[in-house]
Amino acid sequence: MKLVAVTACPTGIAHTYMAAARLEKVAKNFGHEIKVETQGAMGIENKLTETDIRQAQIAIFAVDIEVEGRERFNGVKVIQVPLQEALKNPEGIFSKIQR
Amino acid sequence: MTRGKENPTEFTFSCPLPSGLHARPASHFAETANRFDCECTLTNSRNGLTANCKSVLGIIAADVREGDHCSVRMSGPDAPVATDALQRFVQDVLPGCDVPMPLVDISMQSKTAPRGLRQARVACVFGTSLSRGIGQGKIVSLSRIALPRDVDAQSPLALAVELEKIKDALEAVRQRIREKLKYCLTPTGSAVLQAELAMAGDVLLREKLEDGVRQGRSAPRAVIQAAEFFIDLLGHSENEYVRQRGADIEEICLQLIQELCGGLPESAIALQEASVLVAETIGPQQLLGIDRRWLKALILEESATTSHAAILARSLGIPTLVGVRNARQLLTRGSEVLVDANRGFVIPQLSPPVRRFYEHEQETFERRRKAAADRSLSSAASRTRIIDVGANASSGEEVNSAFENEADGIGLFRTEMIFLGRQEPPSEEEQFAIYAQAVRSARGKPVIIRTFDIGGDKKAPYLNLAEEDNPFLGYRGIRIYDRHHDLLQSQLRAILRASAEGPVQIMAPMVAFVEEFREFKAAVMRAAQHLSGKHIRFKSDIKVGIMIEVPSVAFALDKLCQEVDFFSIGTNDLSQYFFAADRTNSAVSSSFSVRHPAFLRFLRQIVDQIHEAERWVGMCGEMAADPRNLPLLVGLGLDEVSVPAAEVRELKARIRELSLERSSFVLRRALACNESREVEELLTTHLVSQVAPLLSEDLVLLESTSRTKEEVIQEMVDAFYVHDRTADRDAMEEALWAREAEYSTGLGHAFAIPHCKTDAVTANSICILRLQEPIEWDSVHGERVRMVVLLAMRSSDGANNHMQVFSSLARRLDDEDFREQLLKFETPRQITTYLDEQLRLSSPLISVNTDSSSQGD
Repeated sequence: MKLVAVTACPTGIAHTYMAAARLEKVAKNFGHEIKVETQGAMGIENKLTETDIRQAQIAIFAVDIEVEGRERFNGVKVIQVPLQEALKNPEGIFSKIQR
Repeated sequence: MTRGKENPTEFTFSCPLPSGLHARPASHFAETANRFDCECTLTNSRNGLTANCKSVLGIIAADVREGDHCSVRMSGPDAPVATDALQRFVQDVLPGCDVPMPLVDISMQSKTAPRGLRQARVACVFGTSLSRGIGQGKIVSLSRIALPRDVDAQSPLALAVELEKIKDALEAVRQRIREKLKYCLTPTGSAVLQAELAMAGDVLLREKLEDGVRQGRSAPRAVIQAAEFFIDLLGHSENEYVRQRGADIEEICLQLIQELCGGLPESAIALQEASVLVAETIGPQQLLGIDRRWLKALILEESATTSHAAILARSLGIPTLVGVRNARQLLTRGSEVLVDANRGFVIPQLSPPVRRFYEHEQETFERRRKAAADRSLSSAASRTRIIDVGANASSGEEVNSAFENEADGIGLFRTEMIFLGRQEPPSEEEQFAIYAQAVRSARGKPVIIRTFDIGGDKKAPYLNLAEEDNPFLGYRGIRIYDRHHDLLQSQLRAILRASAEGPVQIMAPMVAFVEEFREFKAAVMRAAQHLSGKHIRFKSDIKVGIMIEVPSVAFALDKLCQEVDFFSIGTNDLSQYFFAADRTNSAVSSSFSVRHPAFLRFLRQIVDQIHEAERWVGMCGEMAADPRNLPLLVGLGLDEVSVPAAEVRELKARIRELSLERSSFVLRRALACNESREVEELLTTHLVSQVAPLLSEDLVLLESTSRTKEEVIQEMVDAFYVHDRTADRDAMEEALWAREAEYSTGLGHAFAIPHCKTDAVTANSICILRLQEPIEWDSVHGERVRMVVLLAMRSSDGANNHMQVFSSLARRLDDEDFREQLLKFETPRQITTYLDEQLRLSSPLISVNTDSSSQGD
């Protein structure tokens, strides 16, 4: 499956990036292709393009704050979880997707 | 006014002092005025108040503030000489005769206790800290010795007897202050006592006292009446400083009463054990009379930060809180208290947690002191001086203050002030006295004296300079010397004579081409021959140099270097002539900045050429004084920067943090930029990465024995404090806990990653702590942690390369091998080396490697 994700936390120093790393790794284990955009202290990185989003079947928001540019995801199925979830139980997120 | 119609003369000035004409400058003013017989009146045009210039009190009461326009009118036989002297005083001495009090930095004073004390529910009484430090002792309450409003006096004796009593009492009080002055070792203490001495000898005070006696009062009653008069006069001022001087007068009157009647309580109190003094307010003499071995802290109810007692307490280094309301009621006599004047509160009850907190604090202070000593040792050993810091000055006083601030020399001694604002040019003798004093004050350090730079916006009537449409491009600086031979000769002779007192160099202003310098050099030779002919001593091989202010000089350096001994770049004029942009015109000043790459390239060309010819080149001007420019200036390879005396110390401290290699790198990058804005950004990023490396062995704490999350966080914050990465531990700790409150930073796998984004840290940092025994990190999930990786980032620095290191570290922590490695290493060095390899980025601005390894060597 093709997925996109956004991670963001209030300080944007640590968890945003850890969650991104975690999602990338676990997605691979589940056999998915994923691109994760981080919205942290360095601003938006690895930005999702229009094509990325159009081709994705599902967008995962692992965020504790508002997603910047949310309107980009209009028309895409979005699963939103607290960022903690991506760190503590990323497998749970992907099992949910498969169901 | 009996002599009022004789020779009236007048001049005006505007007050240059930020605190106005308060006691210290006023006493200098009155001292000068008192040297002459004529009457001398000051009028403050802002409030219409007039004052007798010979009276300190009178001047203070005129409430002259910064920028107030005042006129000074003299009348009497010696009015012209007095006018001249006072005018010179106002121009040359006054601006420098009040070293501004360092401002009380209340930014660090929060109105909450640190977290550790809050958690232990310790009660604190808050105030404003005026003098930092921590003091512990038993409360001694001092009641104010008030002036008795009703003196039980005998009826007045004969007028002559009462007058004599007044005279004797005044002299006795002055004598006592003089005695104290002898034993007073701090400059601030002496200044305060000097001001009191001047007040006790004030003509207005004496007149008021004598008038009282003449009106039939006894001497003590006359004192009371005079005190009431002055307290009323000064007390109505809008200026707190002036109102405070009412208290000074009250203290002097109190001493007069004591002298006249005896019997009043002696102001000194005897302390026999560690004590904390509590008072509504305290007189400076009272404070000086206290045995300071036992005085551990001072708490005042009054909130004035400019009272003489407050100023003294700071200069004596006594931890002091002011504005502690109802302190005498809240704090019980004899009870033991602790004054934390770093944070601004008193703890009235010393419970065990309080003692533990401050014992720990004491240990942390010790470690911090030791770390600072180690750092300065290693930096002194490993670094040679990379650039000298000289001072700009225009009077002997400024020279003194420059060397108090550890200047390496006087890079620019301006002489225009001696020539301006007067009808006749200064004599050779007058100039010699000034230069010789400056050279003597420099005690063997070099003084570069610049010959007069007049013209442009600076005019002197005796030079008959014509009005010009474009004075900055006109007849000024060295250009006017050809028509003022005699004036130049007398100045050069005065400078040469001063060279017998110590190392002096002569510098010419506004030189544009070689011929001008040749003529100048010839003039120096003529002056030297004149002195030799008269067998007057001077240094024969005096160095003669030029200012680089006119861009054409840059294209004649090959020729000039053959004849000129040294150069000093005056960036203010050079940049505006270079860009053809007036730097005082805000419409153009920002784009045509000295940080523009084109100007930097120009400077590099100049410095390189001069150094190729093995000549010395310094810089005086605003560019040199802005510490942000330092990496550029060090990178250029300048031999010296010369800056206002007050900036010297700060600049030297900044230079110690710089290396030649790093500065050259920053300069190379700056030269490659397109516009000023890019250079400014570069300097900002440079600062971030410069202060301290992101990673350092000091911040790797292995085998910690902390038992709780609180202790772990405190241990890590302490490490930041000890190694000078935070100036405000309390705020850093709060920031970390605020983040923990959102959700725990435990990661699982025995790792936790607390972090904060706050300017309470002075450098972005990674701190690592490994525990001997795992502890509970997150009570909800019962998660246990052995390895804590703390990331601290400054909030005002914005996005930068450090952030990339943080984010890649955060990503790597998801990697099991990486975590395993961190748990295994045995020494801090292994950990920093490993992290450096794993996280290093291509950008050389990080250079985690070089910085962290050079620290350990």
